[in-house]
Amino acid sequence: MHTSHARLPGELTFMILSVAISTFMLWASYNISQFESISSPGVFPMVCAATLLVTGLMSLKKTATAKLNLEGETFWQQFARKLAPAQLVLFTVLIVVYALTLELVGFLVGSYVFLLLSMQVLGSKRIGLNVLVSAVVLAAIFVVFQTAFSVVLPAGSLVGPYLPEMLK
Amino acid sequence: MMEALGYFFMSWLDIKMLLLTAAGTFAGIYIGAIPGLSVTMAVSILISFTFKWHVNEALALISGIYLGGVYGGSRSAILLNIPGAPAAIATGLDGYPLAKRGEAGQAIGLTTVVSVYGGFIGILALAVAAPAVSDLALKFGPREYLLLALWGILLVGSLSGESLSKGIFSGALGALLACVGLDPMTGENRLTFGSMQLSAGISYIAAMIGFFGVAEVIAQIHELHLKAVKQNVSKIIPSWGLVRKHLGLATRTSSIGVVVGALPGAGGDIAALMAYDHAKRTVKNPSRPFGEGAYEGLVAPESANNAAVGGAYVPMLTLGIPGDAVTAVIIGALYIHGLKPGPMLMIETPHLFWFVVGSLCLANLFLLVFGLTGIKIFAKIVETPKPVLLPLILVLSAVGAYAINNNPVDVYWMLGFGVLGYFLKMYGFQVGPVILGMILGPLMDRSYRQAMMSTGNDVGVFVTEFFTTPLSAIILAALVFTLFSQTETWKRWRSKG
Repeated sequence: MHTSHARLPGELTFMILSVAISTFMLWASYNISQFESISSPGVFPMVCAATLLVTGLMSLKKTATAKLNLEGETFWQQFARKLAPAQLVLFTVLIVVYALTLELVGFLVGSYVFLLLSMQVLGSKRIGLNVLVSAVVLAAIFVVFQTAFSVVLPAGSLVGPYLPEMLK
Repeated sequence: MMEALGYFFMSWLDIKMLLLTAAGTFAGIYIGAIPGLSVTMAVSILISFTFKWHVNEALALISGIYLGGVYGGSRSAILLNIPGAPAAIATGLDGYPLAKRGEAGQAIGLTTVVSVYGGFIGILALAVAAPAVSDLALKFGPREYLLLALWGILLVGSLSGESLSKGIFSGALGALLACVGLDPMTGENRLTFGSMQLSAGISYIAAMIGFFGVAEVIAQIHELHLKAVKQNVSKIIPSWGLVRKHLGLATRTSSIGVVVGALPGAGGDIAALMAYDHAKRTVKNPSRPFGEGAYEGLVAPESANNAAVGGAYVPMLTLGIPGDAVTAVIIGALYIHGLKPGPMLMIETPHLFWFVVGSLCLANLFLLVFGLTGIKIFAKIVETPKPVLLPLILVLSAVGAYAINNNPVDVYWMLGFGVLGYFLKMYGFQVGPVILGMILGPLMDRSYRQAMMSTGNDVGVFVTEFFTTPLSAIILAALVFTLFSQTETWKRWRSKG
């Protein structure tokens, strides 16, 4: 993590974005009830957004004065190495696809495919172990949540109709 | 007296209630330890199973889950650096560095003992000082709640270490996120931008799973090349010398836990942070620097959050006001069982009070037994290679987020907060204050407006009353001191002294 005063690639952009969003949120908070009354619903959000803006500007100032040491790399090379290596990006994409398709393919199928693919992406080469661990853990989660906690996990609009009743 | 003793030992002598208390404590520890599963969620769901039970059986189970769950959060904080609950946020600061040093077993053992110790102090306070503490809590008005919540968020400044401005930024972000949705006082839409989804607000549980679960999983990918941490959990039972050395601190922080737990709305999470802060300020020679595996950094929050359980029961039973989210759910359960928590409860059904005290004591003893056993099985999960473990934690987090409302939208929130949390972490921001801001934001908002309206919207009177009301003045002084103690001037003065 961030430990020194040296700037990480993308940190300045992140802080500028934070300040820009804080400004927008201050404006949105002001629009809730403007200066109608000192105890109106918009006052607390305005105070929060203003605090966000002020502390964001303070951090931006610090970040802008810190030096970015590229260590002989280009900006994007260092960004990819320190913040977004290929494995991390691929894994994040898999998480996004998993979340978005959870209702469509259902918990069991979606989670199983996600587990197998992500274990592969992250470098677990023992395919037999991956297949077994994924199946056992999924079965345990399914049983505990469906029975003990009464959480109805999505059966999936695409796959659900073809699943046996006990797996829905 | 004999009658009270009879009710106190009821759950000890009835085999069914004894087993229910044991099962509740065991389940609580493991539910609390699994990232994404909150004690509040477990109690809410399990209460629906107990509606047809006898009230004593339900209370025995709930007492166990509550105490076990508050403690359980520490296990994942120590072994995975993912707090199982907000009350364990401070625990990971020193617990995880201890685990990385190969002292996970010792850390869990010490945590268990001081949690049980804190739990007993909380129960003792509930039994002995309940009327006095509830009298004090009764005197708190909106102004005091506003200051207390603000103090809670500012305390994280001292936790965020690197930069106070980044700590406050995170706290303000959380409080702003908590404003999204319908205004609880007027029903007006705030920061919803016309979206129906946003009108329902943003679940802090989804945010918690995102910031602590998903963000941690993503960040761990940088360390895939490292071999899985082989957690040393062989020396679990701590030496008497180690325990005795920290008893003084545990007593002080348990007292903080009792008082904070008894304040309505302020539960184990604030108690743990205040206790950690207290330890940082008062322990001059910690076993190691704080944040690098100091035993004092474990003792303080863990004794305080379990002591807060006893404290939280005080306003719940005597005033009918929840001490935290879990006691709010328990109050609902008591109503369903035909009981009316409040001042009349202790007069009309004193047996219930002594039964609760007895059940909590029993659950605390079970906590000692279950806390010191079964750790190796839990630690085995951590020894699983990261390419296998990380996707599994992610699926568990997704299920936890989905379980909040049986709604995939909470999974999307979790994911969004996970990615945001990753960048916040990488750029030196703490994510703990964001969650605290989300939890305490609504309390601050409501308290501020109530306090302001009580003065007829007169800013002068509003400000003056902070100094003229003794309770407000005391909390304000503590708050100002918290801010001042972060300045360079104070640090220079301290180092000279």
